[in-house]
Amino acid sequence: MIQGSSTFIHVGQIHVDTSPFAISTILGSCVAVCLYDRTLGIGGMNHYLLPFWNGNGLQSPKFGNISIPKLIESMLSRGASIKTIEAKIFGGASMNITATETMMIGQKNILVAKEILNEYKIAIVAEDVGGQNGRKIQFDIERGKVLLKYTSRSDCEIGR
Amino acid sequence: MDEIAFLSRKILDLNKQLIESEKAKSRFLSLIASELNNPMTTLLGMIPHLAPPRGDSHEAIFELIHEEALLLDSRIQNLLAASEIEGGKLHITYALIDPKVLLEEAMKGFKYRIKAKNITITVESSLRDPIVSDPKKLYLILKNVLANACDYGIANGVVSVNIAQSGSFIIVAIKNQGYKPNVEYKTQLFTRFAHGPEGAHGLGLGLSIARELCELLDGSIDYDADDTTVTFTIILPFNTMPPDSKAFGSNEFLFEPFDDAIEL
Repeated sequence: MIQGSSTFIHVGQIHVDTSPFAISTILGSCVAVCLYDRTLGIGGMNHYLLPFWNGNGLQSPKFGNISIPKLIESMLSRGASIKTIEAKIFGGASMNITATETMMIGQKNILVAKEILNEYKIAIVAEDVGGQNGRKIQFDIERGKVLLKYTSRSDCEIGR
Repeated sequence: MDEIAFLSRKILDLNKQLIESEKAKSRFLSLIASELNNPMTTLLGMIPHLAPPRGDSHEAIFELIHEEALLLDSRIQNLLAASEIEGGKLHITYALIDPKVLLEEAMKGFKYRIKAKNITITVESSLRDPIVSDPKKLYLILKNVLANACDYGIANGVVSVNIAQSGSFIIVAIKNQGYKPNVEYKTQLFTRFAHGPEGAHGLGLGLSIARELCELLDGSIDYDADDTTVTFTIILPFNTMPPDSKAFGSNEFLFEPFDDAIEL
């Protein structure tokens, strides 16, 4: 049972909060990175649609390479330390079978998360990525645990 | 797969330089936007009290000041919205709204421009009930697209707005008489700091904000043009849920137990 309040995040949102709190989202080919600082009980989650910002439009956190550094920065500004932050990553499914060969959005989204986290020297302690199913996740900041359920195809429309 | 990984790494690397160079600009914009917002709010609140009586010799000066203040305010609001989008800080709050009311409110922001260009704005809505959406975001979307239509529409022309429901979508079409946007690709028009043919109107932030906000609301925006008219179409999901701000959007989670979920 989740203690405290909870929030739902959409594509392009970042939420960082302190225990007790829960953050949830639905993912298709999108990826969510959950960061957790065990010593301080600070946790954060993002939800991005595409791997790279292409220099056009706003530097929106719907792009992985914008969203992940922003999430890390928000964690740090809350007092978390790189040394004690650990990461869990979810999503990146191949939602559209026919487009997988050319687009591979899900795969690129996963790759970008791994690359950037590696660069910041943040360990990925758990992941459930790829595949063909959407996911519903709920990040319980009090325990630092993520609850995950696979979704039916119709639900995935919401998660993209 | 390996090749994709290699290329993606390469893009990531190149992109980093691009982000760095843009970072200072973004930070500066978000800083000045909030610094400018407070005095602007005071100015906008006070200016109407100085309105001279009709026929007064200072009426033209007053109108000019009010017009410029309103214009400055909408630019500041756009800068603020852009920095909120970039910061990932936008939260959706659902409420029952009538798009017609939002449009009328948005029009007030550039009533002098409408008057000066003698533009007639017509609003038609076939919606029977109010819709469920985020009022602040929809307001900003409508205001920016409408402002664009007035800026690029011809003088003495008509800007027509049509709001209708089609299946599970709300469609808002804003049509102005004028020339096709002078861009090579459609997406360019929704790009930040892109300029129109004469590059005379604003920062080019408006349409990029409209696009981001539409996407945030699970909708989209696009335009079509023929020789004499340009139509922007905003498509938003038709939400039928009761506008309980807490439950909407997150209801799936509130009511579905995570009992048999995997824990990681």
